[in-house]
Amino acid sequence: MQASRARLFKEYKEVQREKSADPDIQLICDDSNIFKWTALIKGPSETPYEGGVFQLAFAIPEQYPLLPPQVRFLTKIFHPNVHFKTGEICLDILKNAWSPAWTLQSVCRAIIALMAHPEADSPLNCDSGNLLRSGDIRGYRSMARMYTRLAAMPKKG
Amino acid sequence: MGFDAMANDASAHASNPKDAAKKKRGNRSAKLKQCKLDARREQWLSQVKSNKDGKITSTCAVSPSVASPHSHPPLSQTGKDGAETRRRREEDERDDSSLHEMSDLDSPTHSPTSNASANPSRNAQSIINILSSSGSSIGSSSRSVSDEEEEEAGKRDQGEDGGVLDDWEAVADALTAGNDPGGQESGPQMAQADPVASPGSADVGPCRRASTHPEPVCRAPRAWRPDDAFRPQSLPSISKQRSFTMGMERHWGGPSQKGILSLPSSCPICCEDLDSTDSSFLPCSCGFRLCLFCHKRILEADGRCPGCRKQYDTAPGGIDGNGGAVPLLPLRLYRSCSMSSRY
Repeated sequence: MQASRARLFKEYKEVQREKSADPDIQLICDDSNIFKWTALIKGPSETPYEGGVFQLAFAIPEQYPLLPPQVRFLTKIFHPNVHFKTGEICLDILKNAWSPAWTLQSVCRAIIALMAHPEADSPLNCDSGNLLRSGDIRGYRSMARMYTRLAAMPKKG
Repeated sequence: MGFDAMANDASAHASNPKDAAKKKRGNRSAKLKQCKLDARREQWLSQVKSNKDGKITSTCAVSPSVASPHSHPPLSQTGKDGAETRRRREEDERDDSSLHEMSDLDSPTHSPTSNASANPSRNAQSIINILSSSGSSIGSSSRSVSDEEEEEAGKRDQGEDGGVLDDWEAVADALTAGNDPGGQESGPQMAQADPVASPGSADVGPCRRASTHPEPVCRAPRAWRPDDAFRPQSLPSISKQRSFTMGMERHWGGPSQKGILSLPSSCPICCEDLDSTDSSFLPCSCGFRLCLFCHKRILEADGRCPGCRKQYDTAPGGIDGNGGAVPLLPLRLYRSCSMSSRY
């Protein structure tokens, strides 16, 4: 409990100190609860998610950092490893490959990397996974692009 | 005393730098024996000073032309030693010039100090006779010896300041190979402590030796290597510094990687400060450090290293077995980092 709080406070200070360190990631701590964080990440370039801004919600367990934070997409995203309805993310480092050495910032980086390199063999979004596994890259890209425009990009007009 | 006597007196006085040279040499050998350079150097400085003062009061009065052999102190003197010597020489010259005026008016025997120094001057004349029998030009030889001494003093100063020191081993070899009993500490030091009392026969031997053996040993400005076994222990401000930096490197050169793995002041897991036990705690060969508390908690959970996600080896022998070989490059990088931060 106390260790996780101290750790999160240090991460908070680190984020405040290096706000411009990674322009693709913006980590915001909840005003009243240090165990609730929100992150805004930019979709990586040369992917269907380029130009979109995706919101992530972090729920941090009290055993953090021994246990990984629970992260999910608040923004709709068409990705084989992200549950389309709940936003749950299938990422090994958020499950069994978690290391206490990781930080919220590094989790965000890992998620950006996952967006750029979808893993179709362990899909949470079966439609997206099936498109990729069948080799329909164009279909996957167009669906992902569409949802990025719909959900992750500012509305036009 | 006629002109010849005066000239003899002058050249006799000119042999006094040789006395000083001899004393310095003996003093150096004493330093060699004691291996305490700093203390000895201070002692040497004070002794030379007293020696010079004594010389001024004893023999300068009767020899107006004394200043000629060493009236040109080397201009390229650097260091405290040379400056002090030069200052003393200027005093010397001032005394001599004033005595010049005096001797223009009076004959040397009527000068106020001549009575007191009559006996030393006569002794000095005997010295001259002995020296001239050796066939060497006394003035030039003494001049050269004094210049060499100046050079050596400057060299020694440079050596102490810049890290290049005389090769004491070579000095020792030359002294033992030569015929020099003056290397013993007591003789020259006594002469230095009381130069006015017996400037005659006690100094004759050293004078001749100084003129005939103009110290070939100190010509080679070889330095002590830091790993030299014969290096005096009191020399080494340098060696101390070096060992200190080596200690620093050893301290900082532990297994370290970039970012979160670089030697943390606090545990990267719980962000508590690492105490000395934690800092020396290296549970994994990957070099990831953490506090004992977090290590225990991880062992109770999945038991994998946070740095490399490999299972913690519970047997400490396995940790030591492949530890240390991993981070050679980070170690080198860290050394350079510590260098840049120090300068």
